[in-house]
Amino acid sequence: MPFRLLNSRMVEAKLIPGQRLYSQRGAMLAYKGDVSFTPSITGGQGGVMGMIGRRVANEATPLMTVEGAGTVMFGHGGHHVHVIELSGETLYVEADRLLAFDGSLQQGTMFMGSQGGVMGMVRGQVTGQGLFTTTLKGHGAVAVMAHGGFIELPITPQRPVHVDPQAYVAHRGEVRNKLSAALGWREMVGRGSGEAFQLELSGNGTVYVQASEEKL
Amino acid sequence: MNGPVIHDAHTLPVDDNVNPYAFSVDLDGQWFLQKGKMIAYYGRIDFHGIGHGRLDRLIAHSFHSPLHAADWVVAEGRGKMLLADRSFDVNSFDLEDGNLTVRSGNLLAFQPSLSLKQSIIPGFLTLIGTGKFVAASNGPVVFVEPPIRVDPQALVGWSDCPSPCHHYDHQYLTGVLGGVRAFTGIGGTSGEEHQFEFVGAGTVLLQSSEQLMPEIATGGVPQQAGVPSATPPNQPSMPRMPGQLGDLQRRFGL
Amino acid sequence: MAQFRLQGSKVLAVDLSGDAVKAKNGAMVAYEGEMSFKKMTGGGDGLRGMVTRRLTGEQMEVMEVKGRGTCYFADRATEINLVTLRGETLYVESSNLLCTDAALRTGTSFTGLRGASQGTGLFTTTVEGSGQAAIMSDGQAVVLRVTPSTPLQVDPGAYIAHTGKLKQHFQSGVNFRTFIGEGSGEAFQIRFEGEGLVYVQPSERNTIGGDV
Repeated sequence: MPFRLLNSRMVEAKLIPGQRLYSQRGAMLAYKGDVSFTPSITGGQGGVMGMIGRRVANEATPLMTVEGAGTVMFGHGGHHVHVIELSGETLYVEADRLLAFDGSLQQGTMFMGSQGGVMGMVRGQVTGQGLFTTTLKGHGAVAVMAHGGFIELPITPQRPVHVDPQAYVAHRGEVRNKLSAALGWREMVGRGSGEAFQLELSGNGTVYVQASEEKL
Repeated sequence: MNGPVIHDAHTLPVDDNVNPYAFSVDLDGQWFLQKGKMIAYYGRIDFHGIGHGRLDRLIAHSFHSPLHAADWVVAEGRGKMLLADRSFDVNSFDLEDGNLTVRSGNLLAFQPSLSLKQSIIPGFLTLIGTGKFVAASNGPVVFVEPPIRVDPQALVGWSDCPSPCHHYDHQYLTGVLGGVRAFTGIGGTSGEEHQFEFVGAGTVLLQSSEQLMPEIATGGVPQQAGVPSATPPNQPSMPRMPGQLGDLQRRFGL
Repeated sequence: MAQFRLQGSKVLAVDLSGDAVKAKNGAMVAYEGEMSFKKMTGGGDGLRGMVTRRLTGEQMEVMEVKGRGTCYFADRATEINLVTLRGETLYVESSNLLCTDAALRTGTSFTGLRGASQGTGLFTTTVEGSGQAAIMSDGQAVVLRVTPSTPLQVDPGAYIAHTGKLKQHFQSGVNFRTFIGEGSGEAFQIRFEGEGLVYVQPSERNTIGGDV
């Protein structure tokens, strides 16, 4: 299901009967043809366990199922939209940044804390985005929102990338993430440089960083 | 390294965009501006509040409702004038003996050769005649042809006669599942149960966002039978379903 | 010397090879390589700069970034404009200054009435020397040239910075015959005269003077 960018903040998807896609609720701007929008409790796959997982993970960004034949335009809040094509790999993305994605992609949630131990938990605290991240896997396209657009930074074993947790949007590939404190504790209290925590990403892949430190 | 483009009084474009967010007017005479949308100017330009003295005649021609004239200024004189609106995208539109209806908060400025009227749809203004006007949108404007259904918040305006009307997703609103959802909120709503539907020949203007610009008052309308009004008197309040568009619905008199 | 380049229009990439830049506190979004971040006391140079800042209330939270690699800066999705200084002075609202080469001197200067109209204080930040600076604007900035024969009027809320030999004064743009409550909205303007460049953003901060 190809997404086509109409401009920096608007994406168009063509619907063919039999295929479906998921989008954030309320993100439809306009449509042509015979299209239905159904709220999706579980966010599609995953069944009851998926739902419970979501409740626990607080990743309950409400999704809706979009089906039918026609053209649908998506956009939300004036945020910039980017389309990421997946060919078999896994995309890790905060659920509230998902605008729309191919229904054939396999959804899941991942416990980010398990990778970073205690610091991973701190990461959840820092970003206020919970310890869980949504994963999408398979072949298909994902439309992701970012405040002010985003830049892609490649990650290679020789070149780890450090990211401000608030500016982090998503990443893909074989990537380990670790939250590091850049400064001593004394610096963090009151008189830090504002960069007290950094998310360190290493391995092989790509990280997407937005031009802003604001959450959506 | 190439530096930024530097503009001066002579190189600023003539009635065209400087960048996606700023529009340059080559003023020789008059333009109407929404208050506070001028960011800079060269030359001799005066700004007058509307509604008194010798400008009265102008109002009679260009503002058919004096009620909202207070939100507008006349720029008068010669020079180059830059218009912008909170870093939204701005675009100019040329009408040739045409009409275009636009959300009131999106209209920035227009030539006095056009006349501005209140649309019968509350919150919208209609421009009629020949001339240029400048409107802002959250992201670039996308032009589409009817038939199309549009989320109310994504609508910037429309031209000619695509007969705007409301559309409800009846499959969703009725039926057992819909009823259960409406009462319990379980499952929530998709947020897309209500759209504006356009059919017929014309053009619909969409903005790529569901974030509305603050509305400016379009002025009141006489309270009388048959006149749609933004705040209908004694209207029974309707129970609101979760996920519905609250204020918007009220505004459109649902 | 630190190399400034734009990654898109909203992210500034600075290549460092052991040297340093001064940046707005918390504006780092990502980096590659080895970087250290240090908060600086006050924006101006040395003790005097600090005292000046205390007195003027011109707050600028600054950090020094030093290291080898590439550091990326961005702030609330605002557009970034690069300014190359060759000995001249850049006057900029402190809230619009994102990053400067460590070789540039920063200070404060008295700007008169304009600041009062904006409620940002009477002082503005100056950046002097040779090197690059990055300033931020809400929407892509327009750079306007002022010459003796073409003075420029700017809405106080849209002004972000200027360079050159410019005299600025405050003028009332309203026709005073207008009734109160029916003002033109363009109540106050800054008039620039002389020779120089003015940076204007396509947006207006809330101003106290004009009811914009």
